[in-house]
Amino acid sequence: MLLSALLFIPLLGALILGFVPKDRERTIKAFALVVSLIPLALVLAIWREMDFSQPGMQLLYRAEWIPSLGISYQVGVDGISFPLIAVAAIVLPLAVLASFSINHRVKEFFIWMLVLQTGIYGVFLALDYFLFFIFFEASLVPMYFIIGIWGGQRREYAAMKFFIYTLLGSAIMLVGILALYFGSGLEPRTFDVLVLAEQANLSPALQWWVFLAFFAGFAVKVPIFPFHTWLPDAHVEAPTGGSMILAGILLKMGTYGFFRFMLPTFPDAAHAFSPVLAVLGIIGILYGALAAMAQKDLKRMVAYSSISHMGFVILGVAAMTPMALNGAMFINVSHGLISPLFFFLAGSVIYDRTHTRMMDEMGGLLSSLPLVGGVTAFAAFANLGLPALAGFPGEFFTLAGSFPVFTAGVIVAASGLVLTAGYHLRMMQRVLMGQPRALETRVDLAGRELAVAAPLMVFIVLLGVMPGLALSVFNAPIAVLAAKLGGI
Amino acid sequence: MPVDGSLRLLLPELVVALTGVLALSAGLVSRRAHVPGFISLAGLALAGFFLATEVAGWTAQLWSGTVLVDGFSTVFKAIFLGVAALVVLVSLDYLEHHRLPAGEFFLLVLLATVGMMFMAGSLNLLTIYLGLECLALASYALAGFLRHNDRSTEAAVKYVLIGAISSGIILFGMSLLFGVAGSVHLADVAAALASASSLQPALLAGMVFLIAGFGVKMAVVPFHMWAPDVYHGSPAPVAAFLIAASEAAAFAAALRIFIVGLPALQEHWRSAFILLSVLTMTIGNVAAITQTNMRRMLAYSAVAQAGYLLVGLAVGTERAVAAMIYYMVAYAFATVGAFAVVMLLGKYYPNEEIADFRGLSRRSPLFASALAVFMLSFIGIPPTAGFFGKFYLFQAAVAEGFTWLALVMVLNSVISIPYYWGVVQAMYLRDGAASDPLPAPGGLRWATAIGFGATLLLGLFPDQAVQLVSAVHVVPTLLAGGS
Repeated sequence: MLLSALLFIPLLGALILGFVPKDRERTIKAFALVVSLIPLALVLAIWREMDFSQPGMQLLYRAEWIPSLGISYQVGVDGISFPLIAVAAIVLPLAVLASFSINHRVKEFFIWMLVLQTGIYGVFLALDYFLFFIFFEASLVPMYFIIGIWGGQRREYAAMKFFIYTLLGSAIMLVGILALYFGSGLEPRTFDVLVLAEQANLSPALQWWVFLAFFAGFAVKVPIFPFHTWLPDAHVEAPTGGSMILAGILLKMGTYGFFRFMLPTFPDAAHAFSPVLAVLGIIGILYGALAAMAQKDLKRMVAYSSISHMGFVILGVAAMTPMALNGAMFINVSHGLISPLFFFLAGSVIYDRTHTRMMDEMGGLLSSLPLVGGVTAFAAFANLGLPALAGFPGEFFTLAGSFPVFTAGVIVAASGLVLTAGYHLRMMQRVLMGQPRALETRVDLAGRELAVAAPLMVFIVLLGVMPGLALSVFNAPIAVLAAKLGGI
Repeated sequence: MPVDGSLRLLLPELVVALTGVLALSAGLVSRRAHVPGFISLAGLALAGFFLATEVAGWTAQLWSGTVLVDGFSTVFKAIFLGVAALVVLVSLDYLEHHRLPAGEFFLLVLLATVGMMFMAGSLNLLTIYLGLECLALASYALAGFLRHNDRSTEAAVKYVLIGAISSGIILFGMSLLFGVAGSVHLADVAAALASASSLQPALLAGMVFLIAGFGVKMAVVPFHMWAPDVYHGSPAPVAAFLIAASEAAAFAAALRIFIVGLPALQEHWRSAFILLSVLTMTIGNVAAITQTNMRRMLAYSAVAQAGYLLVGLAVGTERAVAAMIYYMVAYAFATVGAFAVVMLLGKYYPNEEIADFRGLSRRSPLFASALAVFMLSFIGIPPTAGFFGKFYLFQAAVAEGFTWLALVMVLNSVISIPYYWGVVQAMYLRDGAASDPLPAPGGLRWATAIGFGATLLLGLFPDQAVQLVSAVHVVPTLLAGGS
């Protein structure tokens, strides 16, 4: 019941918001924030209910939905999905708070923000392929509007590109889901994720094809090179709240797909495919870093850095050792906290003061706006993987865990770390150092901005200093997953 | 079959036909469209009531096998009655706005409905043909109902010419079947083919004629060239009626003829339908992308949607037929709903360009959100009925091993995003020249609301409907037993 409440409270909030007169903007904003905070309380309650030493699904709830086709409403949470809903519950209210600066078509914006939340929680909680697919697709429409209506100059192009790319991938995945449904050999047929993962008896050839179909869906979402081209446009054009959610949470839907669906259900195909996956991951790391280095636009640089970080996750997934998988999960969490902070800085805090996103036109922020400059430096160091901040442990575990499997690959990927450090330092040099430029306002970090940044910074430090906090949550299910993958 | 008591099973058809006469006379007396309109609605409701209470659950052949009542026909009749009622609802204001004679209009709509009911409710080729002609003649008149509008007249002329040719082709195909099998009853045709040692060329020719003839009625590429002009030029309620109901009737008849009558030729017609379906969805979608006019876009989209339905016909299993019926219901609600919004816009912007939809989200938020949901349903994005319908069709195709065909459908759905979603883009992302609210007449409100509700309900809770359609058999049980 807790999980269903988590799922539908944002949607209910959106419906109620529909009846609020649209000129009462302050009420609308406050209401949206309160509704977004309820899931945080629920996630805390879920956390207390769960036993993280136990790897299986917990708080399972199942109800018949379309029994004639073997479709049920089934939700549950385990150590793999919990960290992601926790990140979502932290980032979503902050994204709402960061969006308080939205000042046109306010009501619609916050309705879409709330609808989007239901889609996000649904993706991470659903344990039926049909239900999962509905949430996976349903999260697209609100994001389309958020980018398309409140985005930057090229918003329509970016929104449509995002929409079509993701739909193309997920449509192919749908055929894969159906092939899995019919090819599983189970009677009665079912869309139950857990049953299919444990009992499906797929022929090797079918496993291959279905794996590839799922790959199409998730690779676009992650995004994995060369399916990434929608990302820079969407992330850059989206309004700040939208980019925070895109980078922090929506990308994780893709990587989550590997952990929840692809690895447990198609272990053989995953093994066969792992070298390709590793190469794509490494290309993503290097390509993302090199592209980030070439950017003049701060927001674009952050967007490309996301591609680079997701490359690490994919490398860890491909290696399939317990340590690498733990590292990949850790990056899911850490990137889910760091990238929203960075996007918030680049898209709102700095932009509102400098009215530019071009790094060359900024400069001297550290001296003109010490707090803003300090937080920016913090975000940059976290993002480049400085030890004692959340970005470090994940990359370390991923590389260390992948080393025995892809030794040469890891050596190449490690050079990505140098590039990552490189573009962050160059960014800091151009934005924080140098001659201060004329600014729109001289107000250093305002109260609301601090309220967005501070919680993220606290968690980033916390996870950096005590990575065991997160590891203890997903270690048990990852161990089971790795054993299943290693047992072949 | 005993004749006594059989009329009871035809009560829905009789009620609809009688209502037509009543509506005509009411139209002569009253100048307002509402009087004949409400008579028509009441008649359709009564027919629906009889369908549910007297006919549902029966399987029987009447009048020496010329008429058949079974689950399949009952479901289709329910669809036709529902669409006709929605079309009457949206026409109320349209007829007054354009000062059209309401009595005659509703008579024609109801007669066309009767024709469709017989198309779905028979295994006799002659009855099917008569139903088809009844539908066609009424539709020709309806297409040209805007007598002073060049486009409407052009639509009617094209429709008459091509429709007459296609009827002739169908009749010729039927006569070839009759020549080989010696009977116009599909069960006898099937039996004659099953016992024949070799297939005669005349039979294949008959099949090809039937495919071509019904291809025209279903607006399938390459027999679709009339569809954009007719759906664009005819009065908006008529276009909705033709797309939602008349195509469904053609599919109902085609299902019966090919699955009941020509199972022996399945190899042949299946390959033909697969080819046609791939052509139809691809060409329909690609042509729709380039349209700037809303009605023309919807017309090409109807062609593409017929292509998706053809997948079900090609697969031809019980599951595929169930999926087709589900899809048609979902599509009908979304189509009539979308046309209701188009009609609202059409009152103020007679050209019905997609650009006229700019800023609708703020002028008429409820109509805009309904149209957005219909577009989602056309593309096939959850949680709408269109998604579940496509899902169901994919499922039927994959179950028969046609995974590649499902993939073609999927890719086509993606191709269709730009044009369907372009409307949403215009409504929500762009600002129009005007921003004042658009007052909407009651009929359009109701039709849009019903379409909206049904599209979401069928998408979120499809189980009841799935159970209903999966209990339908194309081959009636009294034949399957070997009578």
